[in-house]
Amino acid sequence: MLLQLKNIFKWVNSGGQRIFLLKDINMEVEEGEFISVMGPSGSGKSTLLNVIGMLDTFDEGEYNFLHESVHTLKEKHRSNLYKEYIGFVFQSYHLLDELTVQENLEMPLLYKKFKGAERKAMVADMLDRFNIVGKKDLFPTQLSGGQQQLVGVARALIANPKLILADEPTGNLNSQQSEEIMELFKKLNQEDGVTIIQVTHSEKNAAYGSRIINLLDGRKV
Amino acid sequence: MLKNYLKIAWRNLLRNKSFSLLNIMGLSIGLAVTGLILLWVNFEFGVNQFHENKDRIYEVYNKYEVDGEIWTWNSTPKVMASVIKKDYPEVEQVSRYFYENIFLFSSGDKKIKANGTIVDPSFLKIFSFPLIEGDIETVFEDVNSLVVTEEFANKMFGDEPAVGQVITVDNTDSFKVTGVLKNLPVNTEFNFEYLMPWSYLKQKGYDDKNWSNNSIATYVLLNESVNYNDFSEKIKTLRESYDKEAPEMVTFLYPYTRSHLYSEFDNGKEVGGLIDIIRLFGIIAIIVLVIACINFMNLSTARSEKRAKEVGVRKVVGARKNALVFQFLGESILISFIAAVLALIIIVIVLPTFSELVNERLDIEWENPWFWGFFFATIVLTGLLAGSYPALYLSAFKPSAVLKGTFNKINTLVAPRKVLVVVQFSVAIILITATIVVKEQISTVQNRKLGYNKDNLVYVQMEGDVEKNYASIKSELLEGDIATSISKTNSPITESWSNSWNIQWKGKSEDNKTLVHRLVADDAIIKTMGLQLVEGRDFELDKYPTDSTAIILNKSAVKLMGFANPLGQTIKDNGTDWHVIGVIEDFVFNSPFQKIEPMVIEGARAWFNMVHIKLNVQNTTSENLAATEAIFKKYNPNYPFNYEFVDEDYAQKFANEQRTEKLARLFTVLTILISCLGLFGLASYMAQNRIKEIGIRKVLGASASGITKLLSIDFLKLVLVSMLIAIPISWYAMNQWLQDFAYKIDLSWWMFVIAGILALAIAFVTVSYQAIKAAKSNPVNSLRTE
Repeated sequence: MLLQLKNIFKWVNSGGQRIFLLKDINMEVEEGEFISVMGPSGSGKSTLLNVIGMLDTFDEGEYNFLHESVHTLKEKHRSNLYKEYIGFVFQSYHLLDELTVQENLEMPLLYKKFKGAERKAMVADMLDRFNIVGKKDLFPTQLSGGQQQLVGVARALIANPKLILADEPTGNLNSQQSEEIMELFKKLNQEDGVTIIQVTHSEKNAAYGSRIINLLDGRKV
Repeated sequence: MLKNYLKIAWRNLLRNKSFSLLNIMGLSIGLAVTGLILLWVNFEFGVNQFHENKDRIYEVYNKYEVDGEIWTWNSTPKVMASVIKKDYPEVEQVSRYFYENIFLFSSGDKKIKANGTIVDPSFLKIFSFPLIEGDIETVFEDVNSLVVTEEFANKMFGDEPAVGQVITVDNTDSFKVTGVLKNLPVNTEFNFEYLMPWSYLKQKGYDDKNWSNNSIATYVLLNESVNYNDFSEKIKTLRESYDKEAPEMVTFLYPYTRSHLYSEFDNGKEVGGLIDIIRLFGIIAIIVLVIACINFMNLSTARSEKRAKEVGVRKVVGARKNALVFQFLGESILISFIAAVLALIIIVIVLPTFSELVNERLDIEWENPWFWGFFFATIVLTGLLAGSYPALYLSAFKPSAVLKGTFNKINTLVAPRKVLVVVQFSVAIILITATIVVKEQISTVQNRKLGYNKDNLVYVQMEGDVEKNYASIKSELLEGDIATSISKTNSPITESWSNSWNIQWKGKSEDNKTLVHRLVADDAIIKTMGLQLVEGRDFELDKYPTDSTAIILNKSAVKLMGFANPLGQTIKDNGTDWHVIGVIEDFVFNSPFQKIEPMVIEGARAWFNMVHIKLNVQNTTSENLAATEAIFKKYNPNYPFNYEFVDEDYAQKFANEQRTEKLARLFTVLTILISCLGLFGLASYMAQNRIKEIGIRKVLGASASGITKLLSIDFLKLVLVSMLIAIPISWYAMNQWLQDFAYKIDLSWWMFVIAGILALAIAFVTVSYQAIKAAKSNPVNSLRTE
């Protein structure tokens, strides 16, 4: 088992009232799964993803990731944990505009203290795998949306994570680009065994996954 | 990693060119100002400090109580040195330093004028002015020996060896060069190109044993084992057994190392001196640097939203907060490095002008490792100081908030930044007020009634054969209609070179020790100077030969002496009975900023140094000067003809205050400039922050002018607050400054109003640019961004 959420609650206090963002969420994710999280706007999809990704905290409940209990970990350990095992893909790509494709890919490796030669090899490998060798010296603004997201996925994958969290990865893309990205996810999941959790609005994209979790007002339905 | 940071930092700089420019410019101006001031301060602290024995060198000072006030001064009787040598074994060396004198030196066809003085042989043992040639023990052995500087030797003899050469001084005595000194460093207060031995002065009969003739400087070198405090007690009473007239006058030793920065006394107590100005500018340097750093913070945080995404992404892919703090600090150090290099270029460019302004020869010591150490330390420190706040602020962003676009524009940060703007503008307003007050004070004093007519008045030194041929020179000048009047005097009309408290008159009380100034003139002094006669008459030697013992008083002197009928009274001075023949209105002879003191003008019995010539206005000035030169050349062929215009000479008296004014103006402009950069940054930040509000207002029908007003008014309020803070401070400070002047302006409200209005106008122009830009933007765009 990769991760397990038990009775997760998250809330904010507003005007003397407690507003629940997540309410009693229970879920287990096995390695190699491809899960789609669905639900209307404001149902808590992104919040759930952030909690799983350890970018956000929760107020109550237990969260175990690879037999570590995240809720008891210190901030430093927690960030070590997600740095090592989790890659993120965003709706608006979030590449750094000041860096080239190659440099964007290299950045996570810098923070993981890989040696220069190793970094070069890993970046070259990733460029090759995603067929973007020719674009390596371009800046993100010189690429199409689909290509940018491709780089985004490559960046998420470069440090060999066990889990990829994708928050509406195709939200800003046209249908053809969407399809390419989803095919890529499918291939990664089936051939490389990467676990994927994606948030999506689209039934069609959700169908790529092996399981769908539906949320409404912070609650699993 | 570092490479990655540098790349990001560099590309960020290039991407936001205008922002980077603002940021770097502000910082480099700040650094340049600080650098210039520090160079100056460093220079002033180094003056007189290079002497090997500096901690044992003292200058002899006197203290004397007159009318309940203690006077302190540093000129001593010539005879004092020998007494010190004889009575005080604690003193290792003692040397007198005669006043500096310009002589004409000639050797073969070469003639040069050089400034220098007469000293005791031990002078070179006390002070570290090394001899390149000659032996320190014997250079002054001979009466007619002469020690010159390298520069003097080069001017006179070129490449030939100087030692052994014979030089004629003022066409009278011959001297043999016995030593060559290394050129004086720039950081000494001494200013000589030649030194002569004291024995020469003695031979010429100018040495005297008169204890009341306090006219020269005396320096001593104490033995290493001597305790200064103990010795002070001992030497205090030096005059008791020697000085018959003022045995109670206190003798004390003033540390030579303090002479440049301190040495100002008030009622017997050291009250500072140059150090006060240096401290003031030191404070200004720090303020300017802090303001520049504040700007940097302001501008950096203003752009924080643009960097927020980067922070989020970096955190998500694994950056720790420390790594981000490190990155942003590195970036600000990079910027401060660029700024520092720019500042250095600015400094190099303006250093000559600035040196002139502060009247010193400042230089950058490129080879000095301390300089570079300081340079890089400044870069790192400035980078850390300026970058700390943005770094901590930016690195604390939460990625989940930033990346999802729910990042709240943090308005809480505006409050501290408003405080920064208020501080900046308070300083700016204080400086503007200072500039106005100083300028007003100078121009008021410049317009002060002088009491004489300085136009077309020149003076020439009595040198060479001028004295001998004076009658011929005078008659040729007058008969040739070149001059309308001519007088010999002891000093230029713009200065008082002589004074005494020993002048006696009928009814003077024993303990009255008021200083009375002496001018000495031969003939037609009132006519030549255009002085204003109150009663009596001018000197007329031809008509009244007894005018050689006549005396003219100024009104202050009449008041001091309490004469109801001054004419005909007798005044005793220097063993002569002078009879009063005239009274004149007070005229300005010393500093125009001070009140006019009592003065007497003594007749032709006394001695002369200057010839004052009132040129004939019928001719052009150049005609007059050419004709005058011809006459002087004829009667004094060995000397080049030099003259001074009294009006130019008088203008010199404002040099110090004008310098203060220029410096104040310079720093005001720079502070305003830097403050405006900061305000500009804050305004653009606030406009950005309120972009949605502006959009909504516009959609709902607000006009562009209404929005401009809305955005500008906030800032104008800040400037008003600054005014409230600045006005009392500047009022107090300027009052303090004016205390030093007896003749001064009153502070009035309009000076502060002008400063305030100026600050408001500048702030308005700066802010309205951003406000108008924001107000004119299309609301569709701004609303979509949300």
